[in-house]
Amino acid sequence: MKIRKKIKDSQILWHILLCLVVAILLFPIVFAVMNSFKNNTEAINNVMHLLPKEPTLENYIHVFEKLPFVRITLNTFIIAVVVTLLKTITSLFAAYAFVYFDFKGKGILYFLMLSTMFIPFTVTMIPNYLLVSKLGLSDSIIGVMLPQFADVLGIFMLRQSMRGISKSLIEVARLDNIGNVKIMTDIVLPLVRPALISTGIIFFINSWNEYVWPVLILKSKENYTLSLALQMYISSEGGTNFSVAMAVSVMTMLIPLVLYIIFQRYIINTFAMSGIKG
Amino acid sequence: MDNNHTCDSKEIIFEHVKKIYEKTEVVKDLNLKIHAGERLILLGPSGCGKSTTLRMIAGLEDISAGNLYMNGKRSNDIPCGDRGVAMVFQNYALYPHMTVRQNITYGLSVHKMDKAEIESRLEEVLTMLDLTDYADRKPKELSGGQRQRVALARAVVKRSPYFLLDEPLSNLDAQLRLHARKELVRIHETYHQTLVYVTHDQIEAMTVGQRIALLKDGDLQMVDTPSNIYNHPANVFTAKFIGSPSMNILPAKYTTGSLLAGCQSIELPEMWCRQIETSSTNDLFFGIRPEHVTFTSVSEPNTLKATVKYIEDYGNRYGIYLDIDGIEIIALREEEISSCGSTVFVKPNFEKVHFFHMDDERTIGYPRELAKTKPLDVDSIPNIAEENTDKKVV
Repeated sequence: MKIRKKIKDSQILWHILLCLVVAILLFPIVFAVMNSFKNNTEAINNVMHLLPKEPTLENYIHVFEKLPFVRITLNTFIIAVVVTLLKTITSLFAAYAFVYFDFKGKGILYFLMLSTMFIPFTVTMIPNYLLVSKLGLSDSIIGVMLPQFADVLGIFMLRQSMRGISKSLIEVARLDNIGNVKIMTDIVLPLVRPALISTGIIFFINSWNEYVWPVLILKSKENYTLSLALQMYISSEGGTNFSVAMAVSVMTMLIPLVLYIIFQRYIINTFAMSGIKG
Repeated sequence: MDNNHTCDSKEIIFEHVKKIYEKTEVVKDLNLKIHAGERLILLGPSGCGKSTTLRMIAGLEDISAGNLYMNGKRSNDIPCGDRGVAMVFQNYALYPHMTVRQNITYGLSVHKMDKAEIESRLEEVLTMLDLTDYADRKPKELSGGQRQRVALARAVVKRSPYFLLDEPLSNLDAQLRLHARKELVRIHETYHQTLVYVTHDQIEAMTVGQRIALLKDGDLQMVDTPSNIYNHPANVFTAKFIGSPSMNILPAKYTTGSLLAGCQSIELPEMWCRQIETSSTNDLFFGIRPEHVTFTSVSEPNTLKATVKYIEDYGNRYGIYLDIDGIEIIALREEEISSCGSTVFVKPNFEKVHFFHMDDERTIGYPRELAKTKPLDVDSIPNIAEENTDKKVV
């Protein structure tokens, strides 16, 4: 009885701790949503008073009236979708090759590729910027997308997932004289679908939230992405229209949040699998 | 059912084949001919190279040295998909996201086989393997036995000339195994593929195989019919590996007309004296299977005195552990014998005993009177296997 009680007590403690962590993590979101329904004066004066005294939609109206908001959202969406698709496809092919092809230097190549994960973005930023400028792609969304068509994290996650597929499944297909493309589409793809979806979601959210790279490449307002639009209201250049910034924030997080809620099962599973299988 | 699915004459020949992983030689200079349409069992303990040999036939493993011929063509470099091989894996390797129907027909439909033909083959194998009611289920909804039958069906539906099975029954319980063994033989008798079957289970090997190739540490020990392997083992390893409990092996010395085993001398029949004398060796291993040990109550010139150490009750018979001058042997009896510690006299059945050279553990051969009761069909003796036998065994 005593032991059971001890376990229960420790479980309660854990739950309290976890609730606290969740509250801390959720606070910025609640903060943004609540402040987006205040007028700017109230938002500045009563910033920590979460519930708006006089709820208003004026910030949202402002966003749609003063900004090419639909265009900006569309830019962000196009970049995120194209980058996600291409990253997923290249990750899929690379992971397949690393798992199912035997070639000289495979181990070294994989090690080198993984080590690029630890190179800070700032190191590759300037060469990438120069390259994109030379190609005449500055201030274009293609310039934003181009350096992002391959991703080490995606290759790593899909490789982990593919390694979980029994080798004999692939051998059966090979004995049936089935080519690699067919093996990938008919056998491997359905079996790594959860990992594929979750890496896709992660790619999408990362691209959606990206700030530094687009700010370097994009100059004109009609090419802006949502994170750049947000910066217009909350930086030294953009002023301190705080409540509008909160409205833009809410709208920026809306699509990734919906995607995450729909696919959270896959995302959690994939991370759990990556952890277990090393 | 159409029984005319006989395949073309497709034999498999290993010629000095080796498989080396880094520095480990897994298969050592394998010479073996597998006849078209026969059921050959690759038998041996874990790690003896039997699965590697099978995978080399399938093309799933490269051959490090030597030549593999399939249907008369050197096949070392032929991709696995072009070898006409159907294989059943130990874990069945069913596609988990496909139904039974899709699993069976996937290989055919990818190659755009006529739909009517696919349907007809599917129906045939579903009926043959009693899977009709499960056609739309996924593998996770099937029992182990049903999965194994689906794996068989998928291999059978290809109608490949070569049918390879890698321990296909090892995940089934004893009753299902018995049923599956009969099923396998039935399938082979319908389609007459060249069937190569890997197992470490001697009962499976004896009941399914028309011939057995016994391997140890990558070395071929013996290739012959189950009956000849049991009755005329080529060496001590073969003698001990086949039969349960294992054959008793006693170190012995031949002195004119008699055999010294432990500290006791036993009179040998004339036929064995002749055979041992022609073998030009006196230091021998004397082999006798537990089921061929008989007992007498009194000492005779051809008996050995033994002490009963331990008795095991198998239900239908007893395993009697005996001590002969410090050497332990086991005897099988239907009736219980006097209690532990008592003295008995062991009388070997000399028509069923075996003698091996002590130095290289090869058989000294058998007297004319005990020649193979069911001699090998001369035409079916593999030339290369014979070379191998000459070189390594008898």
